[in-house]
Amino acid sequence: MSIIDLTSMGEPQSDLRKELNDRLTKLQDEISDYCFQCAKCTSGCESHKLLELEPHKIVALLKRGLINELVNSDVIWTCMTCLKCRERCPQRVAPVEILFALKNMAVASGKQIPGKYTGMLQSILSMGLIQDIQQTTTRTNKTLKRDELGLPPLSKPIDVVKFQAGIMKIAMEKV
Amino acid sequence: MKKKYALFPGCLMPTEQYAYELSIRETLPLLDVELVDVEGFSCCGEPMKSVNQLLTVYLSARNLAIAEKHHLDVFAPCAMCHLALSECQHILEENPAMKERINGMLAAEGLNYTVKRQVVHTVDLLYDQVGIEKIKEHVKKPLNGLKIAAHYGCHILRPSEIGRPDDSENPQKIEAILKALGAEPVDYPQKLDCCGAPLLANLPESALTKTGQKLQAIQEQGIQGMVDVCPWCHKMFDSRQTKAGETVAAKLDVPVLYLTQLLGLAMGISGEKLGLELNLSPVEKLQLGDVK
Repeated sequence: MSIIDLTSMGEPQSDLRKELNDRLTKLQDEISDYCFQCAKCTSGCESHKLLELEPHKIVALLKRGLINELVNSDVIWTCMTCLKCRERCPQRVAPVEILFALKNMAVASGKQIPGKYTGMLQSILSMGLIQDIQQTTTRTNKTLKRDELGLPPLSKPIDVVKFQAGIMKIAMEKV
Repeated sequence: MKKKYALFPGCLMPTEQYAYELSIRETLPLLDVELVDVEGFSCCGEPMKSVNQLLTVYLSARNLAIAEKHHLDVFAPCAMCHLALSECQHILEENPAMKERINGMLAAEGLNYTVKRQVVHTVDLLYDQVGIEKIKEHVKKPLNGLKIAAHYGCHILRPSEIGRPDDSENPQKIEAILKALGAEPVDYPQKLDCCGAPLLANLPESALTKTGQKLQAIQEQGIQGMVDVCPWCHKMFDSRQTKAGETVAAKLDVPVLYLTQLLGLAMGISGEKLGLELNLSPVEKLQLGDVK
């Protein structure tokens, strides 16, 4: 199984893309209508001051049907997922969830995945965790690993082939 | 009464944030919490939420199903893992069609999710299950009014509609625990600010700036140290403090410990057993026991 199966494009992903599209359409038609642009989400947004993310504008653009523009924009990848917008919205719009749906759509429609996401996904596929055991440095510059600290063996999938078979079902969407 | 949980380590704690795991394994059993190591867990799925949310739900359900197979409740010390597992339970309980779909996939590994089991995090485990009174009974070396800032981490506080370990806007459980240890919890305006870690994957510079801004604010207010309860937050505040300082052009020297490390020190456990040698922030400034 390759990473392509999970993240994009090939025919098997058409169901996933359709599902995401349905979700975004539902968000556009129903949820974004509740938003009255009070911008409480943006006033508390952790990414606003630093990266100029404005969640209320994301909702406004979605409401106008500019889904493709949003999917292709880098700004959707600046969300810190602090969940304050979802918590504080007086209309229960949850911009953070809209951003997750947009990012998923960007990935499923074959736009490049930014940063280390691909590496983490590859690691999950090959051993179950986002990374394997790392060497760590102490205050006195000694390097140590998990077993040298007396910690028990790492818990990870025992049968990787079966583990991948489960994930493969997501890629194939034949459930 | 003894509480028993499967320790769900996640990815970050067991592969690099060893101090958290060491201090959890040292302190909790002394407070009558039995931790069971279970084979076969995987990533909780939360780091993949931006890539494919179905994968997140699937991985969380998989881990919950493994705990269920062992008839165990789950202790997830990582805030991200705790959110993923709780949210997965919420989705599967509310949406029978999704539950059936996920179980269809889990069959590949002979697993099945049926019932909602308890999922706790360090904060509610200590405050609600162990209890303040019991913690006080175990304090041998009170912290003598040490001024400490609590950092909760976004994912254990929100979204409150699915039930989180503490209040979303005014959490106080860590403060209560700090008081029980003899420390003086300090309220500060930046308490609910994010550590920045969720941006590490794609915008690492911005992530560190977020970290630096919070630490700088704490330093300027003369707070003696900070405790956190998430391996991602700790990676930012402790492991990468020097780099975070560079992003805000400040020399940061804020001692940062896991809450379980400070708990252990107050319980009289040696710094070595609690993994204090792995903290890269200036923890020696706190002058606690044998910490150098």
